[in-house]
Order: sequence, then C-alpha cells, then structure tokens
Amino acid sequence: MSAPTQSATGQSAPLESWRPILLYSVQEVFTIMVGAEVRVPDKTDPPLVTEVTGMVGLAGNICGVLSVRCGKSCATEIASRMLGVPVAEAVSNLSDAVGEICNMVAGNFKAKIDSLQDKCMLSVPTIIIGEDYQLYSLAAGDRIDLPFLFEGKSMWIGLEVRS
Amino acid sequence: MSIRALIVDDSSVMRKIVERCLRQAGMDLGQVLEASNGAEALALVTENTIDLILSDINMPVMDGLEFVKHLKEMESAKNIPIVMITTEGGEKSVLEALSFGAKGYIRKPFTPDQVKDHVIPVLGGQS
Repeated sequence: MSAPTQSATGQSAPLESWRPILLYSVQEVFTIMVGAEVRVPDKTDPPLVTEVTGMVGLAGNICGVLSVRCGKSCATEIASRMLGVPVAEAVSNLSDAVGEICNMVAGNFKAKIDSLQDKCMLSVPTIIIGEDYQLYSLAAGDRIDLPFLFEGKSMWIGLEVRS
Repeated sequence: MSIRALIVDDSSVMRKIVERCLRQAGMDLGQVLEASNGAEALALVTENTIDLILSDINMPVMDGLEFVKHLKEMESAKNIPIVMITTEGGEKSVLEALSFGAKGYIRKPFTPDQVKDHVIPVLGGQS
C-alpha cells in the first residue's frame, strides 16, 4: 500500500480529504515505533475514553490541535511496547509515551502534505491526565476524529483546525 | 573501541528507543548519556568525552538548533558529530541544523536500520 500524500495546490484542502492521510500517518507511527498495529473498528465505534489526552499544537498555514485520547491501560500498553518492558514497569512512562505518539503522528501527517511541510510548526506535546475536563477552542473550527483499537482498547485521534 | 553517545530529547521514552535502536543496529555502545534539552546537553558535553550526539530539535528550555549552534562554538566539542532526530524532516529547521554543522538527520518514525544508515557514516564507518 502506498502512502497517501497531498501535493500543494495553493488552496486550503477540505479537512475531510486529509482523513486517509491522518489514518495512514497513525498506522505508520504505530507499526514502526510501537511495533504493533492499530486497528480501525469494523462496525461500531469504540467508546471515547479520555483518561489520558495528548495534544500537539500546529501553527502556520493551518492552526489547530492534534490530539490522542485513550484510557490509562491503553496508554500504559503503548509505553510498554515502545520501551520493550513489562506493563508494570511502563506505568510511569505513559504520559511521555502518549506525548511522543502525538508528536510523531502530527509530524508524520504534516510531512505528507506539501502545503504544510515547512509552513506549519509543531508545539511540544501537552498531556492531560484525568477525565474531568472540558476543552474550549478560541475559534470555531472543523475537526476529524478517527477511532482505533489498540490491543482491543479504544483510542481516538483527532485533528481540529481553523484557518 | 566502544562509542560514548549522548542522546538529547525531552521525551525519556524516545531517548530509550534511540539507545535501543543503536544497540539493535549492532553498534558497540559504551557509556550512554541522556539530556532532556540543549542546555543540559551542553553541560554534559563540557564534563564528558563524547563520540556521538543524537539530538531532537523541538525541545523546551533550549531547542536542538540552539544546541548545535552553541556546540559548534565550543573549541573542545565542535568536532563531535551530531545527528538530528526529529519530526521536522526535510524542512527549514533541519536545513538550519545542517547549516550550523549537524552531520545529518533522521526523521521520526524511524527503524533501527535507518538509525544505523545515518549514524555509521558520520562516525567514519566505525561501529
């Protein structure tokens, strides 16, 4: 399967056209850096669990936020796989692992879109631990949300942009 | 002779992955030092003998570009080969790092083979 990419058009692309590129970017990061595949659910979307939220800001040709949201058990499993250590040893690294996944997915995604490559900067990742929060954006924007299953556990990747 | 490496990244998970990739690539690693930003890395460089540096670009406190710039101004450290490891592949910040004296860059996500392919040439074939 060849990687979906998008050439420069000089126009802002509709966010929906970026969905397959974001999907591929997530799958590529997990296959290479986590050593395990993420699965797109067949029928029903998995529940949205937000015990761990990673966010990376994008600023430049587009402004927005890329987020990874999952449960603590999923985040710990990701850390365990990335580090190659048992789950019990990976608990202290779960926020770091989710932050790095978020950073790599954002970087990998923008590298596949000509109009973003060197015209969009990434922030360092921010991690929220805990479910009881509400996130407000300063301006209304469009967003895409992609549900995944990692080792049977729910994980959502979101991209919210405003031009 | 084993290689003394310094790995600079604000993510401790990523520092461990880079070290593991170097070992999986068959490199004879000796002491491996870690720093979470450029300022910490500069302090380690002044206190230790280092053969190779792998550094992220996007870091808090002092980013990878500032780090390379300062490193190349240090008489005792300017010849240490440095390879950038970044999500910003092929972009302005990478070109800037190369212009400051970085020897190469590896774009995340990366495989152990990609690390090997980029690191061995900057060590002059030594592994």
